[in-house]
Amino acid sequence: MNIAFTEEQEMLRKAARDFLTTECPKKMVRELEEDEKKGYSPVIWKKMADLGWQGMVIPEKYNGQGMTFQDFTVLLEEMGRNILPGPFICTVIEGAYPIMDAGTEEQKKEFLPKIASGESIFTMAQLEPNGLFDASGVTLKATHKGDHYVLEGTKVFVEMANIANYIICVARTVKGVSADDGVTVFIVDAKSVGIHVEVMPTIGMDKLCEVQFKNVSVPIKNVLGKPDKGWHIVENVMRRGAIAKCAESVGGMQAAVDMTVAYSKERVQYDRPIGAFQALQHIMADMWTAMQTSRYILYQAAWMESEGMPCTREVAMAKAYVNEKYKWVTERGVLLHGAIGTSREHDIPLYFRRAKAADIRYGGTDFQKEIVANKIGLIS
Amino acid sequence: MDFKFSDEQLKLRKEFFDVCRDLEKIKPKGYVGLESNYDTDEGWEYHIHCAKEFARRGWLALDWPAQYGGSGTMMDRVFFAEAKGYYDVGGVDVFGVDMLAPTILGAGNEDIKRRFLPGIGAGDVMWCELWSEPNAGSDLASLTTTAVRKGDEYVLNGQKTWSTGAHRAHWAFAVVRTNPNAEKKHQGLTFLLFDMKTPGITVKPLFYMEGGHYYNEVFLDDVRVPVKNVVGEEGKGWQVTQMLAGFERSNLGAIMCMQRQLEDLVKYCNETKGKGEVLAKDPLVRNRLAQAACELEAARCLAYRIADAQSKKEMAPFDASAVKITSGELQARMAHMATDLFGPYGQVEISRWARLNGFFETWYQHHFRLNVAMGTNEIQRNIIAWNGLNLTRMK
Repeated sequence: MNIAFTEEQEMLRKAARDFLTTECPKKMVRELEEDEKKGYSPVIWKKMADLGWQGMVIPEKYNGQGMTFQDFTVLLEEMGRNILPGPFICTVIEGAYPIMDAGTEEQKKEFLPKIASGESIFTMAQLEPNGLFDASGVTLKATHKGDHYVLEGTKVFVEMANIANYIICVARTVKGVSADDGVTVFIVDAKSVGIHVEVMPTIGMDKLCEVQFKNVSVPIKNVLGKPDKGWHIVENVMRRGAIAKCAESVGGMQAAVDMTVAYSKERVQYDRPIGAFQALQHIMADMWTAMQTSRYILYQAAWMESEGMPCTREVAMAKAYVNEKYKWVTERGVLLHGAIGTSREHDIPLYFRRAKAADIRYGGTDFQKEIVANKIGLIS
Repeated sequence: MDFKFSDEQLKLRKEFFDVCRDLEKIKPKGYVGLESNYDTDEGWEYHIHCAKEFARRGWLALDWPAQYGGSGTMMDRVFFAEAKGYYDVGGVDVFGVDMLAPTILGAGNEDIKRRFLPGIGAGDVMWCELWSEPNAGSDLASLTTTAVRKGDEYVLNGQKTWSTGAHRAHWAFAVVRTNPNAEKKHQGLTFLLFDMKTPGITVKPLFYMEGGHYYNEVFLDDVRVPVKNVVGEEGKGWQVTQMLAGFERSNLGAIMCMQRQLEDLVKYCNETKGKGEVLAKDPLVRNRLAQAACELEAARCLAYRIADAQSKKEMAPFDASAVKITSGELQARMAHMATDLFGPYGQVEISRWARLNGFFETWYQHHFRLNVAMGTNEIQRNIIAWNGLNLTRMK
């Protein structure tokens, strides 16, 4: 047991913090949120690629850095702390990892270097209008026709599909004996004929999109993994994505706590800083406690995933826990700032809105708790 | 960063768990945690029996320096606390083993160490704490019990209260005021040890809400204590009470106790019928148990962070406050949840009608120990706010 980061990881953290503070001030975060077309900065994206971030977890033979998932979460914590709008998590978690897990050598050679260089942006189209996170929610139809498949249906909440180069589409190929059976995953060129993308207005202003697939043709070589047996690819995305969101959330909590404590030392009422009032001190102590407990349940999950240990239970626990704490901490943050905390110009509500967005991504609290209920041995 | 136990650690941890599992089998009926050590003769005998079992394995002195009989590390002590917590057995004198021994090791002179550590390590001498007074609780430094030096003795006068187990303990450690004229209330205090059979000591029970006898008022009338029984220096008693470095602060004992409770509740819900189906299939029940499991896991992960820090001789003081708040309040919620699950039987005390031997109904009334004693949770929040976040300290 050694619950501390390595020197290299601490250096990565510092480098990321410095980079993001300089390159992505909050004014830019707000501008990117309001930018209806893109929602990310190609300039920052290129600089990140130069730092090797998109390829951090990609093996060196595909031009990546071959670093660990745990290293990756250190970076994500800093991105959550600063807030970096853009397709980073979806490209790595929903694009690079599935190809590393299930891709053919040909697919790896084709796509991974392009991700590492920042050339290709990926996202995964999983959820459908039924809103279900489990396999039974997958109904978008893929029909096998000769050397290609034809996709027909609608996906929603597809992150950054508005600018993605490739959409990993989760489709139903056959009705299997169980919901997990008969799911096939496709790497779809986002420019394919028949794809229509529309950005949905969401609380995180994070460019979640509706993607309609109308008679979209995908060559057989773009099937990811085995036909009909693709659900495990989605499970891996959900599990890693949940940890990624926890890391972002812990970073966001740190920012919200720092910001609130600093404000309480500046804001004077009744002739003293409001932070001198015990009513507020105890709320801030609870915010800090919520952050610290979230931090180590995240670190455990990230470590287990990084080591390749089975961790469905620990990840579900972490996500269910961190979801609620991030929302609570940022809500207290807004409240302790008083009226100014509600304004568009202020930074604290950015985190409050993002906490709700993070909660839902890769499975909300109740979804995770049902996994936990099974894992602790309750019969279902 | 890793949360992994080494093979050697796993082996030792298993040994702790094996011994505690055996001791669980001979637990007196209705025995629940710390308080049950003091209420009945049966509980006290069980506590002593467990203490002897641990002592002969050297487990009451685990992380002490080798010259005083120590044979392990802080992490071993954490594992032992986990095992003891999980099976909720007696045998570890919170006051002697957990509090006084590290205090003596940190602040005591060689004579004090030589005279008092062996009795603690052997499980022969049980201790009580005489700190709180009727008008000095959270604000402990405002205490007024006096000790006036006469030759090579102090003469003590005053009243102490909330002294757990004082009616059974052999010896006491106390904080008293030796200099009433000191400039600040934290100055002029002295930390000393005395035999509970010393003339002038009167112990009166303070019965708990359900009638149990755990706590006491202790009256001191001209109690004579040798000067050589001072720990640290005269007038430096406050600093001695703050010797937290050597304390095991992970709270993993309490956390593993709740782990067991959760497992017992899962079993109960899998076996007990609600409306037509077993309770385990009720979505509300599933959600509540899952919620508790998540909170418990979060507390456990932070607790390991504290254990790891302490193993490296780091303090992590605010994390320790955070985990105390989190685990204590979770124990309260778990008692609420369990007694809710039992429906009308949630109110039944230990008897043939009780669910799970009345364990949770007892905890429903006993969880205050975790949230009031050893610095109330409000004091813990002050520590985080004032020392951790550097917010203005209350005057």
